Amino acid sequence: MTLFRLALRNALRNKVRLTLAVAGVAVALLAFVTLRTAVGSWDSAAALARRDRLVTRQKMTFIMPLPKRYVADLRATRSASGASLVAEASFASWFGGRDPARPNAFFASYAIEGKSYFDVYDEMHVDLADVRAFEDDRSGAIVGASLARDMGWKRGDRVLLESPIYPSPDRLPFAFTVRGFYESAGRSGDEKLFLFHWERLDAALPTSQRGTIGWIVSRTPAGASTDDVAAAARTIDAMFAERETETLTQDERAFTTGFLGMASAVMDVLSILSFVVLGIQGLVLANAMGMSVRERSREYASLRSMGFSRRWVARLVLTEAALVGALGAVVGAFVAWLAVGRGLAPFFERDLSFFFPVFRVTPGTLALAVGVALVTAIASGVTPAIGTARARLTEAMRRVA
Amino acid sequence: MSASIELRGVCKEYLRGAATLPILEGVDMDVPAGAFQALMGPSGSGKSTLLNLIAGLDRPTRGQVTVAGTPIHGLGDGALADFRARHVGIVFQAYNLIPVLTARENVELPLLLGSLPRAERRKRAETALRIVGLEGRYDHLPRQLSGGQEQRVAIARAIVCDPDLVIADEPTGDLDKKSAEEVLLLFRKLNRELGKTIVMVTHDPAAAEAADTVRRLDKGVLQ
Repeated sequence: MTLFRLALRNALRNKVRLTLAVAGVAVALLAFVTLRTAVGSWDSAAALARRDRLVTRQKMTFIMPLPKRYVADLRATRSASGASLVAEASFASWFGGRDPARPNAFFASYAIEGKSYFDVYDEMHVDLADVRAFEDDRSGAIVGASLARDMGWKRGDRVLLESPIYPSPDRLPFAFTVRGFYESAGRSGDEKLFLFHWERLDAALPTSQRGTIGWIVSRTPAGASTDDVAAAARTIDAMFAERETETLTQDERAFTTGFLGMASAVMDVLSILSFVVLGIQGLVLANAMGMSVRERSREYASLRSMGFSRRWVARLVLTEAALVGALGAVVGAFVAWLAVGRGLAPFFERDLSFFFPVFRVTPGTLALAVGVALVTAIASGVTPAIGTARARLTEAMRRVA
Repeated sequence: MSASIELRGVCKEYLRGAATLPILEGVDMDVPAGAFQALMGPSGSGKSTLLNLIAGLDRPTRGQVTVAGTPIHGLGDGALADFRARHVGIVFQAYNLIPVLTARENVELPLLLGSLPRAERRKRAETALRIVGLEGRYDHLPRQLSGGQEQRVAIARAIVCDPDLVIADEPTGDLDKKSAEEVLLLFRKLNRELGKTIVMVTHDPAAAEAADTVRRLDKGVLQ
């Protein structure tokens, strides 16, 4: 018999209470891991963005357009050494398309230049035959493989999209024909985009709005250092500084961070909530420990009458709390790994890949969850432990004798 | 080795709100080493309070309590706990066994306070259980034992550290007549064969007859 074994026997004494306490810890841990994974995954969207890719947008706000001729100017720009400033350049405009038959199906739709877009985003793999078919059809569209699977679109399918930003002149939805699919290499890829020709959109606009684009994307020459990329961004913005529309150029990571930063307050709340959940679990566990200790006050008094110190009895209570917490943490960690890693991750990575490109439970998150759960569990035993240790022995003995 | 007990001018008072409630008033008491004394008295007479002071479970408001040569009335909590571990074994009316531990593990508990290896602790616990006649019941949980057997496990637990003094508070109060007789026989055996000093509180005159001396307490005054 040891203190540990006695604490273990005490923990196992009331099976129903133990099961509920362990389930409480496990559920709290599951919620904690889910929230922490979401927060971590949100940050990973920026971390996975490329540093050699530049995004040039209107300086004041992302939603204001740029003149399309800026693209040609950028392509023609040379660095101080005389080489091209960027290796590839393309552009896109946010279309905000919705399938009127399925208005709740969210996906991003961009009007793009065509092949040059895939040159800049070289992780997007499209069959050459599909690219040719797309180039040959002004109503053609290239669709992310994941989006096509979800929507059930096949090559040659006619897709109708309407846009709240760009109503078509005839008030009818824009009609597109699926000409191919792209797949993304690497984890940063988003296979949920609907891409079509910018000319198609431009032609539908009033004459006064034609010739504008949403943003320019470019890729710096291979081997460019971080300083080179930053210098290129400065050069681009300096080039357009005196023009009718000023620009802001950032590397893709900074751009994504800024874009995601709009929702950072939500992530901060989620982050705080994740710890609040474990705090609530601690209070529930403290209640369970309090009940257990109250029921056993005679036994603790009996132990102290044998000569066990207040400190020893307090350690006994804390050890029991730690054991319950540890059991809950192990069960919770396993359930979280299974539910989040195997259940939620594929859903998030498939359907919300833009925001959560890598939705994975990391060992660090699990370790943090187990650690915080353990600390909370031990903390939950502090009040009952102190109460038991401080109880006047003779008063406790009156209940004993 | 057995313990002598000396109480001089012992008073114990409790505070009930603003009022002071005297429980024991100027108790002088001598229990020679190796004696077996019974304390009787009506409910509320202060028997258990006196027992608590002798066992080092409480301190007197005034007066001196010396047990086995140690003046315990001024000891701090830690020192009193050490004193109890080394000198006192306590038997309660309700046995107070840990229900999730076997008889052997219950008896082994006080030995955790020492530095004995596990095998030695086990051996001593079994020896104590044999002394109280419970060989063959080592692995029984308290709920698998009769009341008399549970009280015998409690007595084994009280003597396993070989204390000088055994304190028993109504040890036969919850037992049937036959079990009570067995327990009292055991106390006599501990007193006569092992030389333990025993102080026992009881309401039962028949139980008190097992002791060498019977003292009566009434309204906090020892007769």
